[in-house]
Amino acid sequence: MNHVPDERHQVFLKSRTPARTAWVHESRPVTRPMSNWSSDSIAVRAVASVRVVVAVAIGLIGSFLPNLGAREDAFFLIVGFVWIPFATVVLFASVRPNRRVALIGGPVGDILVLLGAQCLLPGASRVVLILYVVVVAFGVYTAGKHFATLLGAVAIACTALSQGLIPRSARLGAAELLFFSLALLAILLLLARSATLQDRVNARAERLQTKSDTILTHVASAVFVTDAESKILECNPAAERIVELPANAVVGNFCGDVVGLHLGERALDCSGGCAILKEFSESEAILGCELWRTRADGKRQPLLADATTVASASGQLEVVHSLRDVTRLKEAEEAKTMFLATASHELKTPLTVITGFAETLIRFDDIDRDTRLAALDAIRSRTRELTQIVDRLLMSSRIGAGAIQVTCTEMDVVPIISDRFATFAAGTHRAVTFMPPTEPVLAFANRDALITVIDHLIDNAAKYSASDQTISIEVASRDGRAHIVVVDQGIGMDEEQAAHCFKQFWQAESNDARRFGGTGIGLYIVHSLVEAMGGQIEVRSRKGHGSAFTVTLRRVDVDDAPAPSAGEESSIREFMRQIGVPERSRA
Amino acid sequence: MSLAMWVATLNIVLGVVYTSYGLMTIVDLKRDWRFRGISHFGLAWIAMAFTCGPHHLDHGLQFATVGGNAGPLDLLAVVIGLPAGVTWFLLRVEALRGGRGDRFISGTPWWLKALVWLSVLYAAVLVASVATVLRHPVHFTPRLTPNVLLLGLYFLIGYYLLRTQLTNRTTLGGWSVSGVALTFVFPTCGVMHAMYMVYASTERYAIEWHCLLIDWLAVPAAIYFVWVVRNLSLGVSTDWNEGATGARLQVAVG
Repeated sequence: MNHVPDERHQVFLKSRTPARTAWVHESRPVTRPMSNWSSDSIAVRAVASVRVVVAVAIGLIGSFLPNLGAREDAFFLIVGFVWIPFATVVLFASVRPNRRVALIGGPVGDILVLLGAQCLLPGASRVVLILYVVVVAFGVYTAGKHFATLLGAVAIACTALSQGLIPRSARLGAAELLFFSLALLAILLLLARSATLQDRVNARAERLQTKSDTILTHVASAVFVTDAESKILECNPAAERIVELPANAVVGNFCGDVVGLHLGERALDCSGGCAILKEFSESEAILGCELWRTRADGKRQPLLADATTVASASGQLEVVHSLRDVTRLKEAEEAKTMFLATASHELKTPLTVITGFAETLIRFDDIDRDTRLAALDAIRSRTRELTQIVDRLLMSSRIGAGAIQVTCTEMDVVPIISDRFATFAAGTHRAVTFMPPTEPVLAFANRDALITVIDHLIDNAAKYSASDQTISIEVASRDGRAHIVVVDQGIGMDEEQAAHCFKQFWQAESNDARRFGGTGIGLYIVHSLVEAMGGQIEVRSRKGHGSAFTVTLRRVDVDDAPAPSAGEESSIREFMRQIGVPERSRA
Repeated sequence: MSLAMWVATLNIVLGVVYTSYGLMTIVDLKRDWRFRGISHFGLAWIAMAFTCGPHHLDHGLQFATVGGNAGPLDLLAVVIGLPAGVTWFLLRVEALRGGRGDRFISGTPWWLKALVWLSVLYAAVLVASVATVLRHPVHFTPRLTPNVLLLGLYFLIGYYLLRTQLTNRTTLGGWSVSGVALTFVFPTCGVMHAMYMVYASTERYAIEWHCLLIDWLAVPAAIYFVWVVRNLSLGVSTDWNEGATGARLQVAVG
């Protein structure tokens, strides 16, 4: 059995012109109903549509014809009550490719209606012979020569049968029947051969096209194909993502206008042909060179670019550009450097203290008991600090590796927050306010994860505010969700800092002037754990006026999106919503 | 007011309402086609509205101007379709004026449950009445074909709508008034054609050529509509069911 791709698993690839699109199949195969069928979905659909129109037209004509006899009445009733509904079913079936009802059922239904016409409308016998030929010819095209041969035989048999059922005066002559049979046979042979050759060519072309399109669609690199004048002819979805524009806004425009590559601080000039090919040696152009472009938000997007020339089908020179976004690689590199710098600093400080006190205790035997206890307490305190840092690093690493699994249950968050509040207040003697609500605040959460989240947020608030400034915690249940807010009056953040504060290893002060220490992973851990519990965290902050972190947790373990109480403004979209047409996003 | 005048009035009101659906959809298409492209769904809906509406107008005007022996089953069918049709129309008008365009009914209140039993009772009464009428000699001609086809097609559209409402009830825990109204519109339209067919086959109603032509035009319109819905449901093609953001992005850059 051959396998053909299923249309349900298609991915979209923008084609050479803005108006044209090509549907590319994913590699998931489905079993084809019959091995030797050749079909063209568009042709099958077109014929199914034409069949419905013809059937309705015949039905309409029949209902307007005056003084019909019983035979004519019967024929038009067959058309109205059998053929039109059947043709409609075939039309609906033809929406999917290779459906038996469309490929076989359609022509079989046609043959039966033609038999009905031969028997009930004897005057139309000669027209019906021509229509038999049309139906059989279409059968060769859609369902293959074997089925069409069978169809042809049935057509001849039907014609012979009908001759026995109609008045002698209306019967066809032997010569007419012989000519019809021979014509049918000739058409069968001719079309079968033509269809076989066409199938072979199509199958090969489709295989190659599917393969190359699938590669282009799934490859992570952006691929632009330009002509010799640097006009973009084709691009893949990754290219759309890189330039943040849909394909129809990319294709047809000049590479320099759409992509805008820079080398160092200089914009590359693509007007006289591909700048990458001009600027770099052949090996560099193929292996990749580091360039950048400006993103829509004004930031630099580092890219690894290469280019090579190919000849198009028409022999024209085309250039295939491949661009790989290396922003994340660069960020990871920077984060790693930052992490090494901050971690070594954070680990070194307590280690220095521990080493100092340990050496003092070893070197001097005559230290009094109070001093020894103070030294040991300092060692213990710094060891705890070290353990905390290592724990955070380990958790951060586990989150990064996707190894954190959080099992949530519905619980009252108030006792947990009260406990963490009391522990913090007793340990630091800082001004902390928390008014526990009288009613339980239920949330879908994990106890350990919630404790970590609250502890980190309180620590964070304490770290970035002066010791005489108040930290407050609020808990409330609103809109069916639990809201936990930790507010400080500390240094606060500006808009950009607030936007980045949940990133791993990010710190508001990343230079040598850092005043607050820390590894820059506390809020990253908080963000990850809240998301793992299906909640959300957001921050409101003003530089110099403090910050407020709000954790929102769901009440139950379902997607509790509010029920839609408003319809669509557009009548078309409202009807679509009500009839169950699924909303689709642009590929 | 005589039965014929009731049938005429209600049919004219329904005809105006259904034709207005088509006009509203044209306004919709005209407003958004530059952003979203042409909508086959919209075109098919317009085609249906402009065949269903004129059918009722023609039927109503026929009774209003010429008069005739109006059937009580005809009135029964129109009476049921009217509240649903008007409700959807008013919700759409509200949406066009910037309002909500829908109401959500949480859970299944008693009156909605009662509506289901009333529908069953209505269907039983209808079937019994039809059986009584069909005891008279029946003359079945090809002229009745479009009514039979429309009965099937409108019930199929009603089935799609009902299926979505039942799914929504499970996932959202309630009902959309807009959806429920629309779900009632199509089967009642089918019932109206069935009643028309019953009276025409017993020769109580004469089939006028203009009404017959409208009904024949309604057949491909309804087939086209179901075909579009099927294509969209299977994801074979996309229409205005693409996300609004994506659709507008195209305009913003192009």
